[in-house]
Amino acid sequence: MSRLNETHNYKGTLVCVEGIDGSGKSTQLALLRDWLKSIGQDVIYTEWNSSELISQTTKLAKKKNMLSPRTFSLLHAVDFADRLKQVIAPALKAGFIVLADRYAYTAFARDVARGVDPNWVREVYSFAIKPDIAIYFDIAPIDAMDRICSNRAPKFYEAGMDLKLSNDPYESYIIFQGRVTKEYQKMVKEFGLTKLDAKDSIHSKQVAIRKMLKEVLEEKGVTLNDKI
Amino acid sequence: MTKYKTKHGYEGLLIVIEGTDGSGKSTQLELLKKSIQAQSYGVMVSEWKTSRLIANVIDDAKERNLLNATTFSLLYAADFADRLENQIIPALKSGFIVLLDRYYYTALARDVARGQDIEWVKNLYDYAPEPDLVFYLDMPVDVLLKRIIGTTGLDYYESGRDVGFSTDFYKSFEIYQKKCLDQYNNMKSEYNFLSIDGTKSIKDIHNIMNAEVQKILDSGVLY
Repeated sequence: MSRLNETHNYKGTLVCVEGIDGSGKSTQLALLRDWLKSIGQDVIYTEWNSSELISQTTKLAKKKNMLSPRTFSLLHAVDFADRLKQVIAPALKAGFIVLADRYAYTAFARDVARGVDPNWVREVYSFAIKPDIAIYFDIAPIDAMDRICSNRAPKFYEAGMDLKLSNDPYESYIIFQGRVTKEYQKMVKEFGLTKLDAKDSIHSKQVAIRKMLKEVLEEKGVTLNDKI
Repeated sequence: MTKYKTKHGYEGLLIVIEGTDGSGKSTQLELLKKSIQAQSYGVMVSEWKTSRLIANVIDDAKERNLLNATTFSLLYAADFADRLENQIIPALKSGFIVLLDRYYYTALARDVARGQDIEWVKNLYDYAPEPDLVFYLDMPVDVLLKRIIGTTGLDYYESGRDVGFSTDFYKSFEIYQKKCLDQYNNMKSEYNFLSIDGTKSIKDIHNIMNAEVQKILDSGVLY
């Protein structure tokens, strides 16, 4: 029933990147965006929890640590639905390449790691449009922690401290992000995510992503003018 | 008398008053609360869209007409989840009688009237405990329309204007409220609504509700 299993018919192309913080997905998306713009493509970028409608509320509630897993899940769904209807869908209809830093799969990974029922959260997001390309950057939590926590401790929700897995934020982070990673890995098959090794070089990952995008665009009859 | 068993397994009782806008829910809730309080039971009241977390966001978004049907559904679902997990379930666990002005049936009626898939909406609320009693204040649409216009007046979302049924305010309101009533009618048997004729006097309605609640209380469920 879910639209996440049906190819969309819009003119545009939807690319999303997934993975835990520190997996390098935002870097890759930024490189892709700059390149696409430089060759004159119409690009729109959207990131997780950024809608005008709700993101401030969610951030505030997170600061106060007052969210239950289900409320947490629903607030992010509000944010996603708002961006999908106001930003993503219109841009796809107009023929844009839409770059999404995190997509519904983030909810499936994080919320399920928090104990939310996997089928329930999939049904909540069943209105989501299936991306043309969904890339998952696979990284071991310990390596991700090395990257993001070199000068700060893991944040409360990022470490899954709401689940009371451990009083030590570092230990809690490893357990919680381990669960998130496990969910991502299951989704590689379930949703056909393309898995990239986060430890590969920035260059080789960017080459792989551009190649995938070119192939998808060519199927849609768009040839990128990247010889400039 | 055999002791009544709660439908949700918690110590307390969950009692809901449902009905469309202007059906007299709040008045009845207040009366019921007083009569239960008078018998020394612990009572807690919770109203639709009052979570400390999200209620303001909904009001603000409505004011600026920012909501589409999906965000409308999800925001109310988030409000509900917050109240359920932080107020309602803790109160039930500790043995309170929880009186609710609207429950997720309201969301089902409104969201489906806005064109959402009913199964999708049901899934949003599928974790909610089953109430011990659901009173439904049944009102014919013409009486209802007059009541709302005579009290709060026509509101943008309560008239379903966001869905674009009609550019005429009254027409849109009528279509939307009728659609909601249709949904409530469909739910009556599915969710065991105890349907009460909303055109009866305030006192008559209260007596009916009170008698039903009293039956459960007399079984000694809260002793």
